[in-house]
Amino acid sequence: MSQAPSSSAINPHNAASTSTAQSVLRTPSQVLIHPVALFSILDHYLRRTDDQGRVIGTLLGTRTDGDTIEVHTAFAMLHTETSEQVAVDAEYLKVMYDLCHKVNPREVIVGWYSTGSTLNTYSALIHNFYSQETNPYPAIHVALNTGTEENEEPGVKAYVSSSAAGAPKPEDAIFVPVPVELRFHEAERSGLDLLIKATSSPTLTTTQPVTDLELLESSLKTLMDMLDRVLAYVRAVLAGEKKGDAAVGRYLMDTLGTSTDDLEKGGFNSSLQDMLMVTYLANLVRSQAEVSARLALISM
Amino acid sequence: MAQAFAAALTASLPAPAASPAPVAPTHEAIPPSMAKVIDIEAEIPLHTVQLDGMVVAKIIKHAREAPSTTAHGLLLGLDLDGTLEVSNSFPLPQHSGEDEDKSAKMIARYQGSMLRSLKEVQADDSVVGFYQAATLGAFFNQSLIDTQAIHQEKLRHGGIVVVHDLSQTARGNASFRAFRLTAAFLSAYKKSSFSTSSLINHRLTFSSILEEVPLKIRTNPLLSSFLGTLTKSCRSPLSDATPDGMTELALPPSFSMLDSGTTGVTRNLEQIIEAIDNYRTEEGNVAYLTRQIARERTRADNYVAKRKEESQARVAQGLAPLPEEDVTRLFKIPPEPSRLESMLLLGQIDGLAKSLAGTSSTGLVKMYGASASG
Repeated sequence: MSQAPSSSAINPHNAASTSTAQSVLRTPSQVLIHPVALFSILDHYLRRTDDQGRVIGTLLGTRTDGDTIEVHTAFAMLHTETSEQVAVDAEYLKVMYDLCHKVNPREVIVGWYSTGSTLNTYSALIHNFYSQETNPYPAIHVALNTGTEENEEPGVKAYVSSSAAGAPKPEDAIFVPVPVELRFHEAERSGLDLLIKATSSPTLTTTQPVTDLELLESSLKTLMDMLDRVLAYVRAVLAGEKKGDAAVGRYLMDTLGTSTDDLEKGGFNSSLQDMLMVTYLANLVRSQAEVSARLALISM
Repeated sequence: MAQAFAAALTASLPAPAASPAPVAPTHEAIPPSMAKVIDIEAEIPLHTVQLDGMVVAKIIKHAREAPSTTAHGLLLGLDLDGTLEVSNSFPLPQHSGEDEDKSAKMIARYQGSMLRSLKEVQADDSVVGFYQAATLGAFFNQSLIDTQAIHQEKLRHGGIVVVHDLSQTARGNASFRAFRLTAAFLSAYKKSSFSTSSLINHRLTFSSILEEVPLKIRTNPLLSSFLGTLTKSCRSPLSDATPDGMTELALPPSFSMLDSGTTGVTRNLEQIIEAIDNYRTEEGNVAYLTRQIARERTRADNYVAKRKEESQARVAQGLAPLPEEDVTRLFKIPPEPSRLESMLLLGQIDGLAKSLAGTSSTGLVKMYGASASG
C-alpha cells in the first residue's frame, strides 16, 4: 500500500488547526481500507463503458472515535463527465445506500473513490457533493490507480479536502493526502492467501477444496526454504565471505533459541493422547452416523 | 423463517425463460467460434463453478460480520460452456423474527431493487444461486434445502449453493464448496414425503441429499496484478527497524497454519454433543409417533376383524351382513413421521465429526513436527 507521499506541500495538521469548524470534528488522519472495497473498485473499473475515462463510487465504512476512518466496502455509482459538466446520480446513491444499510446498519457513507490519480475541478465538485452526504464529518476521497496506463504505478492514495483559503467556491479545494493502510480481520487472512495462490498459477485459477494437510505441507516448505536461506547466510559469514551483521545475529539467536522445554516435560505425551482420543472419537461418531442413516433404510 | 425466505425468492426470481444470456435481446448472430459454448436453451450441463476473487472476499467479509452464523446472500453471474462463472454477489438482510409474510415481502423488494441497481452500473444481474455460511462443517439445514429446491426449479441450470466454512477459514484454510440437490432427493422433496418407504425407494441417506460440484477460484488479471503489488516487498526507509518492520509489506506472508494450538477442539466437541442430543430428541419423537401409529392400527384391525366375524355369524344365521363401514373415519391413524429432520441432523453430526477429525489429524502432524525439531 502506498503511503502518503512525503512531497505533500501542505501539512495536514496545519490545515486542521487553521479551520475553526474542525476543532470539534477532527480531520481524519488515517484511512484503513478493507480488501473488499479495493476489489469492488477494480471490478467496477473492468465493467466501465468505453467512453468512461474513470469510474467513481461511494465508500461505506465506520468512523472510530479518534480520527481514523475504516472503509469497509464500496459500490459503483453512475456518473457522466464531459468537457463541460459532471453529473452524479444522487437518486441512485440514496437507493443503493438504503439497500446496503439494511444488511449492515453500522456502515455509513464516508466518502468516494475514483480510479486513476488525476485530481481536477470535477474531483472537487464531486467531493463537495459527498461532503454534503457525510455532513458534519469531512468526506474522504480514495484514488485507486489500477496501473493499466503506461508509466503509472498501481497504488492507493487517500485525501481529505480543505477549502482553498478565502475562496468558498465548491470547485476550489485542496486535496490533502492521508496515510492509507490495508486492514482486515485476522480470520479473513486465509481468503486473501487463497487469492494470492490463484494469482501465482498460470491459469489464474485454483481448485477447491484444499485439505488442511496440503496447506500445512506448503507452509512447511516455505519454512524450510527460509531456514536454508538463513543457513546459507550463516555459513557465508563463518567462511568469511560476507561481513556478519550483529543485529541479524541477535535476532537469529532470539528466534532459534526459543525453548522447547514444555514439550519435553511430558506435556507432549499427554496432549498426544488427547489428540489420538479425539481422532478416534471423531471417526467413531462418523461411522455411527453412517450406520444410523443406513439403518433408517431398513423396513421391518 | 425458511418458508418466508423461500417464498420471497419465488416471488422475485425471474421466470426461467427470461434469463437466457445477453445474446437474446441484441439479435446478433453468434460468432461460429462461440456457437458451441453459448447455449441459449441451457443444454450443456454444468460441470464446474468458478468464483471470482471479489466474490470470495465479499462472502468472507459478510460471513464474519453477520450477527448470526447463518449469513446468506445471492450469487450473480453467467454460465459458459458448462462452467458457471460467478462474478458478483450481494448479501441478503437477516430476517427479523417478526411477521413471516412481511419479511418475505421485504426480502423480495430488497432483491428486486438491488438487481436493478446493479444492472444500471453494468454488473451482472442474473441470479445463479446463493451462498450460505456455516461453522465447523455443519451446513445441513432446512432453509438451505428449501431455498435450493426452489432455485433448482426456477433458475437456469438449477442454480448452485456455495457453502463457506467460517471456522475453517479462521484456522487458515479458506473453504468454499459448491453443491446441488440430487435428483433422488428432489423427487422425494417434490412429493414432500420423507416416510421410511419413500427413503428406501429413493435410497436416501444424508450423503445423497447434496452432490458436490467442483469449484474453482479465479482472479481476473487486473486483480492479480494488483495483488502482486500488495505482496511485493520494498525496504523500509527506517534504518533501525525490527525484522518485522524491515520490509514494508501490505500483505506479509502468513504462517497461521503452523499454529499448533487446539483451541477449536473443545467447541467442536460441544457442538457434536449438542447435535447428537438433538438427534436423540428427534428420534424419540419419531419412535413415539411410530408407536402411536402401530397402536391405532392394531385397534383398527381388531375392530375390522370383529366386525367381519359378526357379519359372518349373521350370514350363517341367514341374516343380511353388516354394511361396509369406513374404518379410517373411526380411527385416526396419524400420518407417518417425516424423517427429513433426523436425516439433516445426521448430516450435521457427520459434518462436525469430519471437521473434528481433520483438525485433530493435522494437529497430530504438527505435534510430531514440533517434537522432532525440539
